[in-house]
Amino acid sequence: MTFKRVTLLIVALAVIVSTAWAQAKPDFSGTWKLSATTPPNYPGSAGWGVPSPTLVVKQTPMEVTIQAGQYGPNPMSVVYKLDGSDNIWEAPSMTQSGTSATVKWRTKARWDGNKLILFTWNTALNQMRDVMTISNGALTIQRGTEQPGPSTNALLTYTKGS
Amino acid sequence: MRRRTLSVAAWLTVIAGLIVLGPSASLQQRNDANSVKGGVGDITGEYQIPDPNWPQWAHPYAKPGYIWGSQGGVFAESPDRVYLANRGELKLPDKVPPNFPGNWGFFNQMAATQPIANMVNCLVVVDRDGKLIEAWNQWDKLFEWGRGPHQVYISPYDPERYVWVVDDMRHVIYRFTHDGKQLVQTLGVLDEFGENDDLTHFRRPTMIDWLPDGTFFVADGYGNTRVVKFDKTGKALLKWGSRGTGPGQFNTPHGIAVGGSPPRVFVSDRGNRRIQVFDTNGKFLEEWPGIAPHSMLMSADEHVWAVDSLTDRIVKFDLSGHVEFSFGQFGTRPGYTWAPHQITADSDGNLYLSEVFGGRTQKYRPKPNADPTKLVWGRSLMPAGNARTN
Repeated sequence: MTFKRVTLLIVALAVIVSTAWAQAKPDFSGTWKLSATTPPNYPGSAGWGVPSPTLVVKQTPMEVTIQAGQYGPNPMSVVYKLDGSDNIWEAPSMTQSGTSATVKWRTKARWDGNKLILFTWNTALNQMRDVMTISNGALTIQRGTEQPGPSTNALLTYTKGS
Repeated sequence: MRRRTLSVAAWLTVIAGLIVLGPSASLQQRNDANSVKGGVGDITGEYQIPDPNWPQWAHPYAKPGYIWGSQGGVFAESPDRVYLANRGELKLPDKVPPNFPGNWGFFNQMAATQPIANMVNCLVVVDRDGKLIEAWNQWDKLFEWGRGPHQVYISPYDPERYVWVVDDMRHVIYRFTHDGKQLVQTLGVLDEFGENDDLTHFRRPTMIDWLPDGTFFVADGYGNTRVVKFDKTGKALLKWGSRGTGPGQFNTPHGIAVGGSPPRVFVSDRGNRRIQVFDTNGKFLEEWPGIAPHSMLMSADEHVWAVDSLTDRIVKFDLSGHVEFSFGQFGTRPGYTWAPHQITADSDGNLYLSEVFGGRTQKYRPKPNADPTKLVWGRSLMPAGNARTN
Protein backbone atom coordinates (compact mmCIF):
# COMPACT_ATOMS: atom_id res chain seq x y z
CA MET A 1 0.00 0.00 0.00
CA THR A 2 2.81 2.33 0.92
CA PHE A 3 4.62 1.42 -2.27
CA LYS A 4 1.54 2.28 -4.36
CA ARG A 5 1.21 5.62 -2.61
CA VAL A 6 4.83 6.51 -3.23
CA THR A 7 4.51 5.52 -6.88
CA LEU A 8 1.38 7.60 -7.30
CA LEU A 9 3.08 10.53 -5.64
CA ILE A 10 6.07 10.31 -7.97
CA VAL A 11 3.84 10.11 -11.04
CA ALA A 12 1.79 13.07 -9.84
CA LEU A 13 4.89 15.12 -9.20
CA ALA A 14 6.26 14.29 -12.65
CA VAL A 15 3.03 15.38 -14.29
CA ILE A 16 2.93 18.60 -12.29
CA VAL A 17 6.55 19.44 -13.03
CA SER A 18 6.29 18.69 -16.74
CA THR A 19 3.04 20.61 -17.01
CA ALA A 20 4.52 23.55 -15.20
CA TRP A 21 7.60 23.45 -17.43
CA ALA A 22 5.46 23.29 -20.53
CA GLN A 23 3.36 26.18 -19.31
CA ALA A 24 6.44 28.23 -18.65
CA LYS A 25 7.44 28.02 -22.28
CA PRO A 26 5.79 30.28 -24.83
CA ASP A 27 3.21 28.73 -27.10
CA PHE A 28 3.84 29.66 -30.70
CA SER A 29 0.70 27.96 -31.99
CA GLY A 30 -1.48 29.82 -34.41
CA THR A 31 -1.63 31.32 -37.82
CA TRP A 32 0.83 34.14 -38.28
CA LYS A 33 0.97 36.78 -40.99
CA LEU A 34 4.22 38.43 -42.04
CA SER A 35 4.10 42.12 -41.17
CA ALA A 36 7.70 43.34 -41.55
CA THR A 37 11.24 42.28 -42.36
CA THR A 38 14.60 43.82 -41.55
CA PRO A 39 16.20 44.46 -43.96
CA PRO A 40 13.08 45.57 -45.80
CA ASN A 41 11.84 43.12 -48.40
CA TYR A 42 14.40 40.55 -47.26
CA PRO A 43 14.50 38.09 -50.15
CA GLY A 44 15.96 35.06 -48.45
CA SER A 45 18.88 33.40 -50.18
CA ALA A 46 18.41 32.05 -53.69
CA GLY A 47 14.96 30.68 -53.01
CA TRP A 48 15.84 29.43 -49.54
CA GLY A 49 14.65 30.95 -46.29
CA VAL A 50 12.30 33.26 -48.16
CA PRO A 51 9.94 34.64 -45.51
CA SER A 52 6.64 32.88 -45.81
CA PRO A 53 3.66 35.27 -45.92
CA THR A 54 1.84 32.91 -43.59
CA LEU A 55 3.09 30.51 -40.96
CA VAL A 56 0.84 27.89 -39.42
CA VAL A 57 2.40 26.69 -36.18
CA LYS A 58 1.20 23.77 -34.06
CA GLN A 59 2.93 23.16 -30.75
CA THR A 60 2.71 20.29 -28.28
CA PRO A 61 5.02 19.53 -25.36
CA MET A 62 6.87 17.13 -27.66
CA GLU A 63 7.15 18.97 -30.96
CA VAL A 64 6.50 22.04 -33.06
CA THR A 65 5.13 21.74 -36.57
CA ILE A 66 5.48 24.62 -39.00
CA GLN A 67 3.65 24.79 -42.28
CA ALA A 68 5.20 27.42 -44.50
CA GLY A 69 6.74 28.24 -47.86
CA GLN A 70 10.11 29.12 -46.37
CA TYR A 71 11.61 25.71 -47.07
CA GLY A 72 11.67 26.18 -50.82
CA PRO A 73 9.29 27.05 -53.62
CA ASN A 74 6.49 24.85 -52.32
CA PRO A 75 4.85 24.92 -48.88
CA MET A 76 6.04 22.16 -46.58
CA SER A 77 4.98 20.97 -43.18
CA VAL A 78 8.09 20.48 -41.05
CA VAL A 79 8.35 18.94 -37.58
CA TYR A 80 10.86 20.02 -34.94
CA LYS A 81 11.17 17.70 -31.93
CA LEU A 82 11.47 19.52 -28.64
CA ASP A 83 13.48 16.82 -26.86
CA GLY A 84 16.63 17.86 -28.71
CA SER A 85 16.69 14.87 -31.01
CA ASP A 86 17.02 14.96 -34.77
CA ASN A 87 14.10 14.56 -37.11
CA ILE A 88 15.31 13.18 -40.44
CA TRP A 89 13.32 12.41 -43.57
CA GLU A 90 13.53 12.49 -47.34
CA ALA A 91 11.46 14.56 -49.75
CA PRO A 92 11.61 15.71 -53.36
CA SER A 93 13.08 19.18 -53.17
CA MET A 94 14.69 21.86 -55.27
CA THR A 95 18.49 21.71 -55.51
CA GLN A 96 21.00 24.50 -56.03
CA SER A 97 21.05 23.76 -59.75
CA GLY A 98 17.31 24.35 -59.98
CA THR A 99 16.44 20.72 -60.57
CA SER A 100 14.34 18.57 -58.30
CA ALA A 101 15.88 15.61 -56.52
CA THR A 102 15.23 13.46 -53.50
CA VAL A 103 16.85 15.36 -50.68
CA LYS A 104 17.51 14.37 -47.09
CA TRP A 105 16.20 16.80 -44.50
CA ARG A 106 17.10 17.20 -40.86
CA THR A 107 15.62 19.41 -38.16
CA LYS A 108 16.46 20.00 -34.54
CA ALA A 109 15.17 22.36 -31.85
CA ARG A 110 16.15 23.57 -28.42
CA TRP A 111 14.97 26.09 -25.90
CA ASP A 112 17.13 28.99 -24.78
CA GLY A 113 15.03 30.48 -22.00
CA ASN A 114 11.88 31.69 -23.68
CA LYS A 115 13.47 31.56 -27.11
CA LEU A 116 12.86 28.57 -29.32
CA ILE A 117 15.75 27.88 -31.66
CA LEU A 118 14.96 25.86 -34.77
CA PHE A 119 17.62 24.36 -37.01
CA THR A 120 16.92 23.11 -40.53
CA TRP A 121 19.36 21.40 -42.88
CA ASN A 122 19.06 19.59 -46.16
CA THR A 123 21.52 17.86 -48.43
CA ALA A 124 20.88 20.36 -51.21
CA LEU A 125 23.26 22.63 -49.24
CA ASN A 126 20.61 24.66 -47.47
CA GLN A 127 20.70 25.56 -43.80
CA MET A 128 18.56 27.83 -41.68
CA ARG A 129 18.47 28.85 -38.03
CA ASP A 130 15.39 30.57 -36.69
CA VAL A 131 15.35 32.06 -33.19
CA MET A 132 11.69 32.54 -32.30
CA THR A 133 10.29 34.77 -29.58
CA ILE A 134 6.88 36.14 -28.71
CA SER A 135 6.49 39.62 -27.34
CA ASN A 136 3.35 41.76 -27.10
CA GLY A 137 1.47 39.34 -29.28
CA ALA A 138 3.99 39.49 -32.09
CA LEU A 139 6.16 36.62 -33.24
CA THR A 140 9.68 37.63 -34.15
CA ILE A 141 12.12 35.35 -35.94
CA GLN A 142 15.83 36.10 -36.11
CA ARG A 143 16.79 34.16 -39.22
CA GLY A 144 20.21 33.12 -40.42
CA THR A 145 20.65 31.20 -43.65
CA GLU A 146 23.60 29.36 -45.09
CA GLN A 147 24.13 28.34 -48.69
CA PRO A 148 27.31 28.01 -50.75
CA GLY A 149 27.59 31.82 -50.97
CA PRO A 150 27.65 34.38 -48.16
CA SER A 151 25.43 33.95 -45.12
CA THR A 152 22.32 36.09 -44.73
CA ASN A 153 20.58 37.54 -41.65
CA ALA A 154 17.10 38.94 -41.22
CA LEU A 155 14.59 39.84 -38.55
CA LEU A 156 11.05 38.77 -39.44
CA THR A 157 7.98 40.01 -37.60
CA TYR A 158 4.65 38.19 -37.69
CA THR A 159 1.30 39.11 -36.20
CA LYS A 160 -1.58 36.82 -35.42
CA GLY A 161 -3.86 36.29 -38.37
CA SER A 162 -6.52 33.88 -39.46
CA MET B 1 32.21 48.78 -104.02
CA ARG B 2 35.96 48.84 -103.74
CA ARG B 3 35.62 48.00 -100.06
CA ARG B 4 33.41 45.01 -100.86
CA THR B 5 35.86 43.75 -103.51
CA LEU B 6 38.71 43.87 -101.01
CA SER B 7 36.63 42.10 -98.44
CA VAL B 8 35.79 39.23 -100.79
CA ALA B 9 39.43 38.92 -101.79
CA ALA B 10 40.46 38.84 -98.17
CA TRP B 11 37.99 36.08 -97.38
CA LEU B 12 39.15 34.02 -100.38
CA THR B 13 42.73 34.35 -99.15
CA VAL B 14 41.77 33.22 -95.66
CA ILE B 15 39.80 30.22 -96.93
CA ALA B 16 42.65 29.19 -99.26
CA GLY B 17 45.08 29.51 -96.41
CA LEU B 18 42.99 27.34 -94.15
CA ILE B 19 42.69 24.65 -96.83
CA VAL B 20 46.44 24.61 -97.53
CA LEU B 21 47.73 25.14 -94.00
CA GLY B 22 44.92 23.63 -91.98
CA PRO B 23 46.61 20.45 -90.75
CA SER B 24 49.92 22.11 -89.97
CA ALA B 25 48.21 25.08 -88.32
CA SER B 26 46.30 22.68 -86.13
CA LEU B 27 49.50 20.83 -85.26
CA GLN B 28 51.16 24.14 -84.44
CA GLN B 29 48.36 24.94 -82.02
CA ARG B 30 48.84 21.65 -80.22
CA ASN B 31 52.56 22.23 -80.03
CA ASP B 32 51.95 25.65 -78.53
CA ALA B 33 49.69 24.15 -75.91
CA ASN B 34 52.43 21.76 -74.90
CA SER B 35 55.17 24.36 -74.78
CA VAL B 36 53.50 27.40 -73.33
CA LYS B 37 55.70 30.42 -72.65
CA GLY B 38 55.91 32.76 -69.70
CA GLY B 39 54.16 36.07 -69.32
CA VAL B 40 50.63 37.34 -69.55
CA GLY B 41 48.28 34.87 -71.17
CA ASP B 42 50.40 31.99 -70.04
CA ILE B 43 48.37 28.87 -69.25
CA THR B 44 50.66 26.74 -67.12
CA GLY B 45 53.66 29.00 -66.55
CA GLU B 46 56.81 27.06 -65.81
CA TYR B 47 54.85 23.85 -65.42
CA GLN B 48 54.01 21.08 -67.86
CA ILE B 49 50.46 20.33 -68.91
CA PRO B 50 49.09 18.12 -66.08
CA ASP B 51 48.31 14.47 -66.62
CA PRO B 52 44.48 14.33 -66.69
CA ASN B 53 44.60 10.87 -65.17
CA TRP B 54 46.24 12.07 -61.96
CA PRO B 55 45.38 11.00 -59.34
CA GLN B 56 45.09 7.39 -60.31
CA TRP B 57 42.84 6.93 -57.29
CA ALA B 58 40.02 8.79 -59.05
CA HIS B 59 40.62 7.68 -62.65
CA PRO B 60 38.50 5.72 -63.07
CA TYR B 61 36.46 6.39 -59.97
CA ALA B 62 36.00 3.22 -57.96
CA LYS B 63 32.22 3.36 -57.83
CA PRO B 64 30.77 2.77 -61.32
CA GLY B 65 28.42 5.50 -62.46
CA TYR B 66 29.89 8.01 -60.04
CA ILE B 67 32.71 10.52 -60.03
CA TRP B 68 34.49 12.59 -57.44
CA GLY B 69 32.96 16.04 -57.21
CA SER B 70 34.06 19.44 -55.99
CA GLN B 71 37.65 19.49 -54.74
CA GLY B 72 37.81 21.87 -51.83
CA GLY B 73 41.39 21.34 -50.82
CA VAL B 74 44.77 19.79 -51.42
CA PHE B 75 47.88 19.81 -49.25
CA ALA B 76 51.22 18.32 -50.22
CA GLU B 77 53.08 17.19 -47.13
CA SER B 78 55.67 15.65 -49.45
CA PRO B 79 55.72 14.39 -53.04
CA ASP B 80 54.59 11.03 -51.68
CA ARG B 81 51.95 12.19 -49.24
CA VAL B 82 49.31 14.46 -50.70
CA TYR B 83 46.02 15.09 -48.88
CA LEU B 84 42.90 15.58 -50.98
CA ALA B 85 39.75 17.15 -49.53
CA ASN B 86 36.73 16.09 -51.57
CA ARG B 87 33.29 17.58 -51.20
CA GLY B 88 31.48 14.36 -52.02
CA GLU B 89 30.98 12.09 -54.98
CA LEU B 90 28.42 12.76 -57.70
CA LYS B 91 26.28 10.49 -59.83
CA LEU B 92 27.17 10.69 -63.49
CA PRO B 93 24.46 11.26 -66.09
CA ASP B 94 23.03 8.08 -67.57
CA LYS B 95 24.72 8.84 -70.88
CA VAL B 96 28.29 10.06 -70.74
CA PRO B 97 29.91 11.28 -73.97
CA PRO B 98 32.85 9.20 -75.20
CA ASN B 99 35.15 12.22 -74.90
CA PHE B 100 34.31 12.73 -71.21
CA PRO B 101 37.67 13.52 -69.58
CA GLY B 102 36.70 12.41 -66.09
CA ASN B 103 36.01 15.68 -64.28
CA TRP B 104 32.67 17.23 -63.46
CA GLY B 105 33.57 20.60 -64.97
CA PHE B 106 33.15 19.01 -68.40
CA PHE B 107 29.38 19.13 -67.90
CA ASN B 108 29.49 22.91 -67.46
CA GLN B 109 27.24 22.87 -64.40
CA MET B 110 29.27 25.15 -62.18
CA ALA B 111 29.54 23.97 -58.55
CA ALA B 112 30.49 20.32 -58.59
CA THR B 113 28.24 19.60 -55.64
CA GLN B 114 24.97 19.26 -57.51
CA PRO B 115 22.36 18.05 -57.54
CA ILE B 116 23.32 16.01 -54.45
CA ALA B 117 26.83 15.11 -53.32
CA ASN B 118 27.27 11.91 -51.32
CA MET B 119 29.77 12.59 -48.58
CA VAL B 120 32.13 9.66 -49.04
CA ASN B 121 35.89 9.63 -49.59
CA CYS B 122 36.01 13.16 -48.23
CA LEU B 123 39.60 12.86 -47.04
CA VAL B 124 42.13 10.70 -48.86
CA VAL B 125 45.92 10.60 -49.06
CA VAL B 126 47.72 9.72 -52.30
CA ASP B 127 51.30 9.30 -53.42
CA ARG B 128 53.17 10.97 -56.30
CA ASP B 129 51.32 8.86 -58.85
CA GLY B 130 48.03 9.54 -57.21
CA LYS B 131 47.73 6.01 -55.85
CA LEU B 132 45.67 5.75 -52.71
CA ILE B 133 47.64 5.53 -49.47
CA GLU B 134 44.89 6.22 -46.95
CA ALA B 135 41.15 6.86 -47.10
CA TRP B 136 39.82 8.45 -43.93
CA ASN B 137 36.32 7.13 -44.48
CA GLN B 138 35.80 6.91 -40.74
CA TRP B 139 35.33 10.68 -40.79
CA ASP B 140 32.97 10.96 -43.76
CA LYS B 141 30.04 11.22 -41.36
CA LEU B 142 31.40 14.52 -40.07
CA PHE B 143 30.60 16.12 -43.40
CA GLU B 144 27.19 14.57 -44.07
CA TRP B 145 25.09 17.65 -43.31
CA GLY B 146 27.44 20.21 -44.77
CA ARG B 147 29.17 20.45 -48.10
CA GLY B 148 32.32 18.57 -47.23
CA PRO B 149 35.78 19.71 -46.24
CA HIS B 150 36.60 23.23 -47.33
CA GLN B 151 40.40 23.02 -47.14
CA VAL B 152 43.13 20.87 -45.53
CA TYR B 153 46.54 21.77 -44.03
CA ILE B 154 49.48 20.86 -41.88
CA SER B 155 51.18 23.70 -40.07
CA PRO B 156 54.71 24.03 -41.43
CA TYR B 157 55.89 24.63 -37.88
CA ASP B 158 54.32 21.56 -36.25
CA PRO B 159 56.73 18.64 -35.70
CA GLU B 160 53.77 16.43 -34.82
CA ARG B 161 52.14 17.16 -38.16
CA TYR B 162 48.56 17.29 -37.08
CA VAL B 163 46.15 17.57 -39.98
CA TRP B 164 43.70 20.46 -39.92
CA VAL B 165 40.44 20.40 -41.86
CA VAL B 166 38.07 23.35 -42.17
CA ASP B 167 34.35 22.63 -42.56
CA ASP B 168 32.69 25.93 -43.40
CA MET B 169 29.08 24.82 -43.60
CA ARG B 170 29.15 23.10 -40.22
CA HIS B 171 31.07 25.98 -38.63
CA VAL B 172 34.00 23.96 -37.27
CA ILE B 173 37.71 23.27 -37.73
CA TYR B 174 39.01 19.79 -36.98
CA ARG B 175 42.51 18.72 -35.95
CA PHE B 176 43.37 15.10 -36.60
CA THR B 177 46.41 13.00 -35.81
CA HIS B 178 48.77 12.61 -38.72
CA ASP B 179 47.40 9.19 -39.60
CA GLY B 180 43.82 10.37 -39.30
CA LYS B 181 42.90 7.78 -36.71
CA GLN B 182 42.03 10.25 -34.00
CA LEU B 183 40.17 13.54 -33.94
CA VAL B 184 41.99 15.44 -31.23
CA GLN B 185 40.41 18.88 -31.33
CA THR B 186 37.35 20.65 -32.69
CA LEU B 187 37.31 24.43 -32.81
CA GLY B 188 33.88 26.02 -32.90
CA VAL B 189 30.63 24.20 -32.21
CA LEU B 190 29.25 21.72 -34.70
CA ASP B 191 26.21 23.12 -36.53
CA GLU B 192 26.04 26.21 -34.34
CA PHE B 193 27.22 29.57 -35.52
CA GLY B 194 27.88 32.70 -33.52
CA GLU B 195 27.88 36.39 -34.18
CA ASN B 196 30.85 38.53 -35.15
CA ASP B 197 31.91 39.28 -31.55
CA ASP B 198 31.60 35.68 -30.34
CA LEU B 199 35.01 34.02 -29.99
CA THR B 200 33.60 30.59 -29.19
CA HIS B 201 31.75 30.07 -32.47
CA PHE B 202 32.63 30.45 -36.11
CA ARG B 203 30.27 31.25 -38.93
CA ARG B 204 31.49 29.61 -42.11
CA PRO B 205 35.28 29.61 -41.55
CA THR B 206 37.38 29.17 -44.67
CA MET B 207 41.15 29.05 -44.18
CA ILE B 208 44.01 28.94 -41.64
CA ASP B 209 47.67 29.98 -41.53
CA TRP B 210 50.32 29.90 -38.82
CA LEU B 211 53.17 31.82 -37.26
CA PRO B 212 56.31 29.87 -36.33
CA ASP B 213 55.32 29.86 -32.63
CA GLY B 214 52.06 28.05 -33.39
CA THR B 215 49.83 31.11 -33.22
CA PHE B 216 47.30 30.80 -35.99
CA PHE B 217 44.77 32.92 -37.83
CA VAL B 218 41.40 31.86 -39.21
CA ALA B 219 39.52 33.60 -42.00
CA ASP B 220 35.92 33.45 -40.74
CA GLY B 221 34.61 33.71 -43.46
CA TYR B 222 31.29 33.67 -45.35
CA GLY B 223 29.24 34.59 -42.28
CA ASN B 224 31.20 36.47 -39.66
CA THR B 225 33.46 38.37 -42.08
CA ARG B 226 36.37 38.63 -39.69
CA VAL B 227 39.76 37.19 -38.79
CA VAL B 228 40.24 35.33 -35.50
CA LYS B 229 43.66 34.95 -33.89
CA PHE B 230 44.35 31.86 -31.74
CA ASP B 231 47.24 30.81 -29.58
CA LYS B 232 48.94 27.49 -30.28
CA THR B 233 46.52 25.59 -28.02
CA GLY B 234 43.47 26.81 -29.90
CA LYS B 235 42.46 29.50 -27.43
CA ALA B 236 40.90 32.45 -29.23
CA LEU B 237 42.81 35.64 -28.46
CA LEU B 238 41.16 38.35 -30.50
CA LYS B 239 39.26 39.09 -33.66
CA TRP B 240 39.11 41.89 -36.16
CA GLY B 241 36.92 42.89 -39.06
CA SER B 242 33.24 43.24 -39.80
CA ARG B 243 31.05 43.30 -42.88
CA GLY B 244 31.70 46.29 -45.09
CA THR B 245 33.94 47.80 -47.70
CA GLY B 246 36.21 50.07 -45.68
CA PRO B 247 39.73 49.43 -44.45
CA GLY B 248 39.66 46.45 -42.12
CA GLN B 249 36.18 45.44 -43.20
CA PHE B 250 35.43 42.38 -45.28
CA ASN B 251 33.03 40.75 -47.68
CA THR B 252 33.85 37.05 -47.49
CA PRO B 253 37.42 36.92 -46.24
CA HIS B 254 38.21 33.61 -47.88
CA GLY B 255 41.98 33.18 -47.92
CA ILE B 256 44.73 33.99 -45.45
CA ALA B 257 48.52 33.87 -45.48
CA VAL B 258 50.97 34.83 -42.77
CA GLY B 259 54.62 35.77 -43.16
CA GLY B 260 57.22 38.47 -43.58
CA SER B 261 59.41 40.28 -41.12
CA PRO B 262 57.86 41.61 -39.01
CA PRO B 263 55.08 39.10 -39.67
CA ARG B 264 51.98 40.32 -41.42
CA VAL B 265 48.58 38.79 -42.09
CA PHE B 266 47.45 38.87 -45.71
CA VAL B 267 43.71 38.39 -46.08
CA SER B 268 41.87 37.68 -49.29
CA ASP B 269 38.81 39.91 -49.09
CA ARG B 270 37.19 38.04 -51.94
CA GLY B 271 33.84 39.82 -52.12
CA ASN B 272 35.53 43.22 -52.08
CA ARG B 273 38.06 42.11 -54.71
CA ARG B 274 41.20 42.96 -52.79
CA ILE B 275 43.87 41.64 -50.49
CA GLN B 276 44.16 43.46 -47.17
CA VAL B 277 47.33 43.46 -45.10
CA PHE B 278 47.40 43.65 -41.29
CA ASP B 279 49.86 43.32 -38.48
CA THR B 280 49.38 40.28 -36.27
CA ASN B 281 47.04 42.15 -33.95
CA GLY B 282 44.74 43.27 -36.71
CA LYS B 283 46.05 46.77 -37.38
CA PHE B 284 45.24 47.64 -40.99
CA LEU B 285 48.36 48.39 -43.04
CA GLU B 286 47.39 48.49 -46.70
CA GLU B 287 45.26 46.95 -49.43
CA TRP B 288 46.06 45.48 -52.82
CA PRO B 289 43.03 46.00 -55.07
CA GLY B 290 42.02 44.18 -58.20
CA ILE B 291 42.19 40.55 -57.18
CA ALA B 292 39.70 38.29 -55.42
CA PRO B 293 41.56 35.18 -54.34
CA HIS B 294 39.86 31.97 -53.31
CA SER B 295 43.03 31.02 -51.53
CA MET B 296 46.59 32.13 -50.87
CA LEU B 297 49.91 30.57 -49.97
CA MET B 298 52.96 32.02 -48.26
CA SER B 299 55.85 30.50 -50.16
CA ALA B 300 59.23 29.43 -48.89
CA ASP B 301 60.78 32.45 -50.63
CA GLU B 302 58.38 34.76 -48.76
CA HIS B 303 55.98 35.65 -51.51
CA VAL B 304 52.22 35.51 -51.54
CA TRP B 305 50.78 33.28 -54.25
CA ALA B 306 47.10 33.99 -54.80
CA VAL B 307 44.56 32.06 -56.89
CA ASP B 308 42.19 34.61 -58.34
CA SER B 309 38.49 33.80 -58.50
CA LEU B 310 37.91 36.47 -61.17
CA THR B 311 40.43 35.35 -63.76
CA ASP B 312 41.56 31.90 -62.63
CA ARG B 313 45.11 33.24 -62.67
CA ILE B 314 47.80 32.18 -60.25
CA VAL B 315 49.56 35.37 -59.19
CA LYS B 316 52.88 35.82 -57.41
CA PHE B 317 53.14 38.95 -55.25
CA ASP B 318 56.09 40.22 -53.31
CA LEU B 319 55.20 41.25 -49.79
CA SER B 320 54.75 44.86 -50.90
CA GLY B 321 52.00 43.88 -53.28
CA HIS B 322 53.93 44.03 -56.55
CA VAL B 323 52.97 41.37 -59.08
CA GLU B 324 56.05 39.48 -60.15
CA PHE B 325 54.53 36.74 -62.29
CA SER B 326 51.24 35.13 -63.16
CA PHE B 327 49.85 32.32 -65.22
CA GLY B 328 46.65 30.34 -65.62
CA GLN B 329 43.37 30.63 -67.42
CA PHE B 330 39.78 29.52 -67.01
CA GLY B 331 38.89 26.23 -68.66
CA THR B 332 38.27 22.55 -68.19
CA ARG B 333 41.00 21.11 -70.39
CA PRO B 334 44.16 19.87 -68.69
CA GLY B 335 46.18 22.77 -67.34
CA TYR B 336 43.29 25.19 -67.29
CA THR B 337 41.31 25.68 -64.08
CA TRP B 338 37.78 26.40 -62.97
CA ALA B 339 37.75 27.99 -59.53
CA PRO B 340 41.09 26.87 -58.09
CA HIS B 341 40.34 26.72 -54.38
CA GLN B 342 43.53 25.65 -52.61
CA ILE B 343 47.15 25.90 -53.74
CA THR B 344 50.03 23.83 -52.40
CA ALA B 345 53.46 22.73 -53.54
CA ASP B 346 55.80 19.92 -52.55
CA SER B 347 59.55 19.87 -52.04
CA ASP B 348 60.15 18.66 -55.61
CA GLY B 349 58.54 21.80 -56.97
CA ASN B 350 55.30 20.16 -58.01
CA LEU B 351 52.27 22.42 -57.79
CA TYR B 352 48.77 21.20 -56.91
CA LEU B 353 45.51 23.07 -57.45
CA SER B 354 42.13 21.84 -56.27
CA GLU B 355 39.15 23.09 -58.24
CA VAL B 356 35.72 23.47 -56.70
CA PHE B 357 33.85 24.01 -59.97
CA GLY B 358 36.16 22.05 -62.27
CA GLY B 359 35.74 19.08 -59.94
CA ARG B 360 39.34 17.92 -60.02
CA THR B 361 42.76 18.39 -58.49
CA GLN B 362 45.59 18.84 -60.93
CA LYS B 363 49.26 18.15 -60.34
CA TYR B 364 51.61 20.43 -62.28
CA ARG B 365 55.16 19.16 -62.69
CA PRO B 366 57.88 21.75 -63.47
CA LYS B 367 59.15 21.90 -67.02
CA PRO B 368 62.74 20.87 -67.55
CA ASN B 369 64.96 23.88 -66.88
CA ALA B 370 62.05 25.81 -65.37
CA ASP B 371 62.89 29.19 -63.91
CA PRO B 372 62.80 28.47 -60.17
CA THR B 373 61.67 32.01 -59.39
CA LYS B 374 58.47 31.26 -61.28
CA LEU B 375 57.69 28.06 -59.43
CA VAL B 376 55.65 27.83 -56.25
CA TRP B 377 57.73 26.59 -53.33
CA GLY B 378 55.79 25.57 -50.27
CA ARG B 379 57.28 26.28 -46.85
CA SER B 380 59.37 23.40 -45.57
CA LEU B 381 57.66 21.37 -42.88
CA MET B 382 59.30 20.64 -39.56
CA PRO B 383 60.92 17.19 -39.48
CA ALA B 384 58.27 14.60 -38.83
CA GLY B 385 60.08 12.50 -36.26
CA ASN B 386 57.43 13.21 -33.69
CA ALA B 387 54.42 12.94 -35.97
CA ARG B 388 51.45 12.02 -33.81
CA THR B 389 49.64 8.84 -34.63
CA ASN B 390 47.05 7.05 -32.65
